[in-house]
Amino acid sequence: MKLLVLPPHFRTAATLLGPPVAVLAGGFALVLAISSDPILAYQDLLFANFYSAGSFALFINRMTPLLFLGLSVILSFRAGMFNVGGEGQLYLGAMAATIAGLASAGAPRPLGLLLAAGAGAATGAVYALAPALLKVRLGVNEVVSTLMLNFIALLLTQYLVTHPLRDPVAYGAVSWMLPASVWLPEIPGLLGATSAALIALAVAPLAWMLLFRTLWGADLRAAGSNPRFAEAVGIDASRRVLEAMALSGGIAGLAGALYVLGVGHRFEQNFSPGFGLIGLTVALLARLHPFGAVATAAFYALVLNGAAYMQIDTDVPRSLVGLLTGFLVLFMTARGRGAPAPS
Amino acid sequence: MSSTAKEDVGSDALLRLRNVSKWFGEKQALAGVDLDVRPGEVHVVCGENGAGKSTLMNIIGGVLQPDEGEVIFDNRPARFADPLAASRAGVGMVHQHFRLLPSLTVAENLYLNRQPRRFGLFADRAAMRRGAATLIARYGFDLGPDAVVGDLSVGQRQRVEILKALGFEARLLILDEPTAVLTPGEVAQLLDVVRELRSKGRAILFITHKLTEALDVSDRVTVLRQGRRISTQATHLLSERSIAIDMVGREMRPLKREGGPRAEAKTPAPTLSASDIVATDSEGRPLLGGVSFAIFPGEILGVAGVDGNGQTELSEAAAGLRRIQGGAIHMAARDVTRLDVRARRSLGLGFIPEDRLDRGVSAGMTIAENVSVGAYRRRRLVNAAGLVRVAARDAYAAEKIREFDVRGATPRTPIGALSGGNIQKVVIARELDQRPVALVVAQPTRGLDVGATEFVHRQISAAAERGCGVLLISSELSEIFALSDRIAVMFRGRLVGAVDRASATEESIGLMMGGGARAP
Repeated sequence: MKLLVLPPHFRTAATLLGPPVAVLAGGFALVLAISSDPILAYQDLLFANFYSAGSFALFINRMTPLLFLGLSVILSFRAGMFNVGGEGQLYLGAMAATIAGLASAGAPRPLGLLLAAGAGAATGAVYALAPALLKVRLGVNEVVSTLMLNFIALLLTQYLVTHPLRDPVAYGAVSWMLPASVWLPEIPGLLGATSAALIALAVAPLAWMLLFRTLWGADLRAAGSNPRFAEAVGIDASRRVLEAMALSGGIAGLAGALYVLGVGHRFEQNFSPGFGLIGLTVALLARLHPFGAVATAAFYALVLNGAAYMQIDTDVPRSLVGLLTGFLVLFMTARGRGAPAPS
Repeated sequence: MSSTAKEDVGSDALLRLRNVSKWFGEKQALAGVDLDVRPGEVHVVCGENGAGKSTLMNIIGGVLQPDEGEVIFDNRPARFADPLAASRAGVGMVHQHFRLLPSLTVAENLYLNRQPRRFGLFADRAAMRRGAATLIARYGFDLGPDAVVGDLSVGQRQRVEILKALGFEARLLILDEPTAVLTPGEVAQLLDVVRELRSKGRAILFITHKLTEALDVSDRVTVLRQGRRISTQATHLLSERSIAIDMVGREMRPLKREGGPRAEAKTPAPTLSASDIVATDSEGRPLLGGVSFAIFPGEILGVAGVDGNGQTELSEAAAGLRRIQGGAIHMAARDVTRLDVRARRSLGLGFIPEDRLDRGVSAGMTIAENVSVGAYRRRRLVNAAGLVRVAARDAYAAEKIREFDVRGATPRTPIGALSGGNIQKVVIARELDQRPVALVVAQPTRGLDVGATEFVHRQISAAAERGCGVLLISSELSEIFALSDRIAVMFRGRLVGAVDRASATEESIGLMMGGGARAP
């Protein structure tokens, strides 16, 4: 009955690092069983992102939206709002940035960029405010409303990119190319890597500070963890919820805008491989902590991109990653009977 | 630890526990407990919260399994895998919270899970009714087999639970804090039922932390403290004081409030008052039907009553958490009827809600975060830029933890990890820190043990000493009488009485709680 007693920080490290290590080890056993070249497969999965500057840049570009969306989810979940509409907010943010970018073709260099990015963030914020208002005023379940709004956003942007904004000479459903004056520069010295990554990495500590070091954050977490308590001690819970959702949607919208401005340079239909959904897992695996999200977003980007190289080089299909991440979620969320739930 | 020599009960005991231990994780809930219960005996188990009473009963009732030791029932080693196995063996349990289906009839509830069948398929309703009527008649209860449980009073529902637990063959009946939800009159009836069962040769294990009941009904009393059996003694050798000392491990100092608004504090305007407030639920049914009261500085108005007569709604209306449909609420001379919680708090209203985990704290957040809510600006726990001064906040929390004797706590401990009494201390620390001029307190010691109760009473009393007007809502009569200057009773959404404590007796208030009489 007596448990092995470990120093607390060691136990924390073990609970955080244990599951990924166990999953990777288990995955290796699986690969060993099905592959003729298991070492190469795993080498690709874990290290191919670092083989060249080019593949590292791709890793950075993959991580950026994941981190943004993870942070977006953290802000809303901490306010007790299960915002699963990240994908829709992302698409609308990207579309708004595209339209603003195309419209500000003649604008001086940083102005058009700022305008487009701002349009993306604002659109995302407004799109997330709608379900928040419905929740606060009418008690409409936000899981349903944000999920449904995803379809509206997806189909609306699909229409816009296949009809009014479509570049008829390009292959596939893509918009006109944005003027180079509104492009987000690359990270100096890292060809092809979007500097949106630096913004995402700056937003993470800002989100942490906001949540854990301001009065606003304390009120927000109180409202999110126990709204009836917040009400009883005079916290304006509804207001905090609206603000948190606007921020959450704004970050998701910004993610879409910066993807268009920094990576795609035009709106591409289906540009997101489900960033919104993966962002949910990124946030949950990080236990809704902004710094944790940096690690989990990087991990996801690593294995998502690594799997592509693995599939090319070996006979292991990339769907292995789906399996591994599924197990990871299972291990991270499972806990011993009687152990306290995460706060 | 045992203060009495192990009694030689021999083989006449129906239930024998030997050296029973139970761990929850690293925490030991029971440490080598022995217990004997004889047929035809009422055996009371006393103890503070967390002493292990419920764990022990759950082991006997088959809800939990012991980690060590043995349970011997009817001279056979017993290991009940689940409550059903225990009930088949003849152990019936009445839980503190009723486990009845309110939409079904008494007979259907009694036969839940063991319905007589016709052709092995259909419920034999006629047989059920006959059986239920026989059972009710055997114990002489005032129940009809066809009555819908949802329409019954709390006392009647409890009798249905007792019948259900007894079934036709239970020889040991466990009652887990059965009097917590009853009016004084219903308590007396319950104790009569218990005596009746004893005379029929049943063994009864009666869990309570109310000492008068323990002395009143029992043949022997076992006291648990921190998972250990402290003593088992024949009731005629015991007094309330001796049981309390065993329970707490030290001498108790019961609170005696001199009380009353001091003459010089008696201002023309009451610090908190309500005039004819009316509240209805969403379907328009009345919850509060014209409640009026006035509390002067330094005065405690006790509101007694059986749960569910509008006390929750009254406390919420006073705190600003419930919109009222009529009437007015004043603080000092100011009309606060339309003001929200935040505005009322800034005028000096404190609120200690009836359910700590519901409205009192956010269980997932730390003690520091819970106790600092509302104090950030007052105590300068944020700097000019709006950032929380973490060191100052933790220091403030540490100071409150010391001052209010919150056990097993550091500022960074999640508050949900504390016991109920310690959580309540944090709530009180927070609400009293702003030196409220009016305090709404609902069920402040519900579920608290003797020691924590004493502490909470002192804090409320001290607040009144400082000139705070207190609205004390409690279904615990002893608490009402210990603290109040005047006593009123909530009955069906109305406030009856408001009599001076000196002229009130437990009997007169108890009658009013049952709706039996108006104030003298």
